Amino acid sequence: MIRTRLSSWALGLSAAALAVSAWASLPAGRAQAEAAAAPAQDPNFRITGMRRLTEAQYRNAVADVFGPDIRVAGRFEPIVRPVHELIASGARGSSISPAGLEQFDAMARLVAAQVVDPAHRSQFVPCTPRSEDAADEACARRALEPIGRLLFRRPLTGSELAFYATVAGRAAESTRSFGKGLELALAAMLVSPNFLYVIERAEPDPAHPGQLRLDGWSRASRLSFMLWNSTPSASLLDAAARGSLTDPAQLQAIAARMVASPRFEGGVRAFFSDMLLFEKFEEMAKDPVVYPYFNQDVAQALPEQMLRTITDHLLARDGDYRGLFTTRRTWLNRPLGAVYQVPVGRSQGWVPYEFAAGSDRAGLLGQAGFLALYSHSGRSSPTLRGRAIRELLMCQPVPNPPGNVNFTAVQDTANKATPTARIRLDAHSTDPVCAGCHKITDPVGLTLERFDGIGAYRATENDAPIDVAGGMDGQTFQGADGLGKALAQSPDTTMCLASRALEYATGRPAEDADAVEALMGRFEAAGFRIRQLFLDVATMPGAYAIPASAAPAHTVALGK
Amino acid sequence: MKTGKTAMQQRSWTLGAAAGLGIAAAAIALVPGGPAGEPAHAQPLAAALPAPPADGVMGFVVQEFVPPVIQGADACPQGTALKIKEQYLASLPEDERNRLARKENEPEFTKRWQASVVGPGGTNICSQPDMFERPLLRTVQSRSAWGIDLDQGAADQGCEHEEFAAPDGREGIDNQEYRVMGCTPEWRGKDGIAGDIASGMKQFHASGEWTQVILLRGVDSLVHDDDVEVIYANTADRPPADTKGNFLRGASFSVNDTAPRHRNVLKGRIDGGMLTTAPQDIWLAQTWGQGGARDIRGTRSRYDFRRARLRLVFQPDGSLRGLMGGYRPVFDVIQSPAIGGVGAATTAGIDCAGILATLRKYADGVRDPKTGKCTAVSSAMRVTAVPAFINDLAVPAGGKPE
Repeated sequence: MIRTRLSSWALGLSAAALAVSAWASLPAGRAQAEAAAAPAQDPNFRITGMRRLTEAQYRNAVADVFGPDIRVAGRFEPIVRPVHELIASGARGSSISPAGLEQFDAMARLVAAQVVDPAHRSQFVPCTPRSEDAADEACARRALEPIGRLLFRRPLTGSELAFYATVAGRAAESTRSFGKGLELALAAMLVSPNFLYVIERAEPDPAHPGQLRLDGWSRASRLSFMLWNSTPSASLLDAAARGSLTDPAQLQAIAARMVASPRFEGGVRAFFSDMLLFEKFEEMAKDPVVYPYFNQDVAQALPEQMLRTITDHLLARDGDYRGLFTTRRTWLNRPLGAVYQVPVGRSQGWVPYEFAAGSDRAGLLGQAGFLALYSHSGRSSPTLRGRAIRELLMCQPVPNPPGNVNFTAVQDTANKATPTARIRLDAHSTDPVCAGCHKITDPVGLTLERFDGIGAYRATENDAPIDVAGGMDGQTFQGADGLGKALAQSPDTTMCLASRALEYATGRPAEDADAVEALMGRFEAAGFRIRQLFLDVATMPGAYAIPASAAPAHTVALGK
Repeated sequence: MKTGKTAMQQRSWTLGAAAGLGIAAAAIALVPGGPAGEPAHAQPLAAALPAPPADGVMGFVVQEFVPPVIQGADACPQGTALKIKEQYLASLPEDERNRLARKENEPEFTKRWQASVVGPGGTNICSQPDMFERPLLRTVQSRSAWGIDLDQGAADQGCEHEEFAAPDGREGIDNQEYRVMGCTPEWRGKDGIAGDIASGMKQFHASGEWTQVILLRGVDSLVHDDDVEVIYANTADRPPADTKGNFLRGASFSVNDTAPRHRNVLKGRIDGGMLTTAPQDIWLAQTWGQGGARDIRGTRSRYDFRRARLRLVFQPDGSLRGLMGGYRPVFDVIQSPAIGGVGAATTAGIDCAGILATLRKYADGVRDPKTGKCTAVSSAMRVTAVPAFINDLAVPAGGKPE
């Protein structure tokens, strides 16, 4: 199945790339022949997977290769998240529609134009063309080869370099501009599947004859996108070229440096954004009449507060992952200060803050971001919150409600006879069909009912006192504090994180229970420190093994 | 002629506040805002007020800062003050007035009345109001006005004037600005609905350009406290608001005393749930338009209240409501149309020269020692403030406020 899809993507993108970027009058037959010939040059060239860059990865890659002042503007076609999986897994099966490719093409042209403009050209063109008005193949090759290595995350093959040099030459002739030719060749690279997809290639595994493992270049991409959420640096590609990434000791040393780097924060942010479904923030809407404190500034601050809490606790303080469910330390900006009704000293930016003991603001689950995301537009939802906790933090999928459910009772928030969510849910859950799932979600979510649909504190609902008693897996507790402690003590939360980390790295749901158990054991031994978890994932041989299902039966041709 | 003075009101501020603003008075205190004679926003009972925070610090952002207008036909029995166009028409013989009033003669009429607002050398009635002789405005005729008795104990600094009585029964109210401006359509509005000044100023205060905050320090009790430090200042921070424009409670603001914003440190006291401050000059930011100094937009001036006082009542819901009063230099009242220049006259029909002349006639404060004439009018603003967190950047770390 994967191989079939792989081939069709490759062909589709190849055609699109040629159509939109290699606009010059290249003989199509010749170009495709060159493309088809490329993989055959390398007997070990086996593609085992393609993972589309996320928007953040695309932006980070452009910034890292060309500089942070290069503007990227355009709409990114979203990568669809498979049910109960990460976007990282969805990226493995993500195609690009013609409209999406048009967007990538427009972005590529914009980026390329900036790279070769007078302000930047000298950084990327190490030679002076014989004439500014004509093609200069030698100079074009000198410019395109190092850029291509960074963009494709491996050296260009000879035919690839020849292809892009030809594109540059033909375009320079047509436009009578060496710079314009270079710009169009660069734009063609930026819409190539070799850039838009992280292409994983296999090579024979000398330690396990007959089996395959990721090659060095693919490992460089794996490490860099997993740990830094960006494209491999030149030095990491150098390490791949030296074979360092297939040597366990050297891989360990390189990965250790990467998780110790400040850039690991970018990787941690991307991982938790994926794990906690932060893409839902973009579509979150609240009724401004019901929630006057919710506005655009607050909406933007909600995920950022959670990410700052996560990175501050896990990285800056090197904290135990389980502490994320109990810590009262966080960061605030002015818009959020109004939601929490606490002072924020600075007009702009973020300040550290510690919620008062007794505030019930325990860890991530006591933060407005989580509470608002798993609420409806005009009311809180113990069910959505409970489900999110089960699914996202404990990796326990909860079935969808049946299609014919009558939600009238839970939606009737103005009914004086059912003033609180607990009472409304009790009425709703009398239906045995509903009760089965609600028993899993609601006792968890009801503990967060002190916080309304945007996460603001409330002591009552419709003037009725709120009961925050709840329970989970036989344990009973009160409020967000009690829930946070229960989650911190549950082995399911740490096991869930370990399996998600493995899935994030490989782009496949972690189905090898033994591997997850082993990872969990090391995670626990390290005091549940995130750096150690990601270092273990980055260096475990199993993560680089090619599953039998992904092993290619034949090679495929990619467009340039 | 001064009227309505009592022995109590002649005392010093401290005595006056202590004797006149006691718990009994506060229990029936009426705060401006509603129609004349009606109990206003709240009638706080001191006993209903919560205890202040343990650190004695309370913050507020000013939601409303507008001239308090008492609606009712008795204030302006002849109607609102005439616009320039109407004045021009009224000045003509009847036959000519009728001719120009006809629709077909509108272009001629417009040309003629607009010509009356410009003078030689490109001067105009709003930019150079002293160069134009205009009739005085219709003024407020009723005895009722919101305001504060500003001249108690300092009569020698003022000029003769007729004082108002407040709808809550207080006598000796000084608010000559209201007397002059209270019949202009911009203040009075129409059919009992507040004029443009109310809605316009609300926008300004929501913008972060004029936004004011109040910070109280050393509050031991909302019922009685002899010594409260009051920081009345501007902030550059925009207040978040609900869908109706009401400022949200519990937002944070930084006090900004860098020009064009101001920070006034006042000496206050609390009696019976009412905060009052000792007379002191108060400056507050006023920016006409927002952003940039292109033409009149972004032109900066300031509120300049001389010998000003706050008179604010703590509400059980945590807000503050009441008045700010002081003497304003007469020209300040027409600052906005003066900056607007000829457009203010020809487009908005504002008779700057007439207003200025009327203000001078009724000026009752800040006597010029050379001429002996008063240069300022007594004024009052209705103030409503909601709880907020105020970060006073002027306080050195670990130190006392400057």
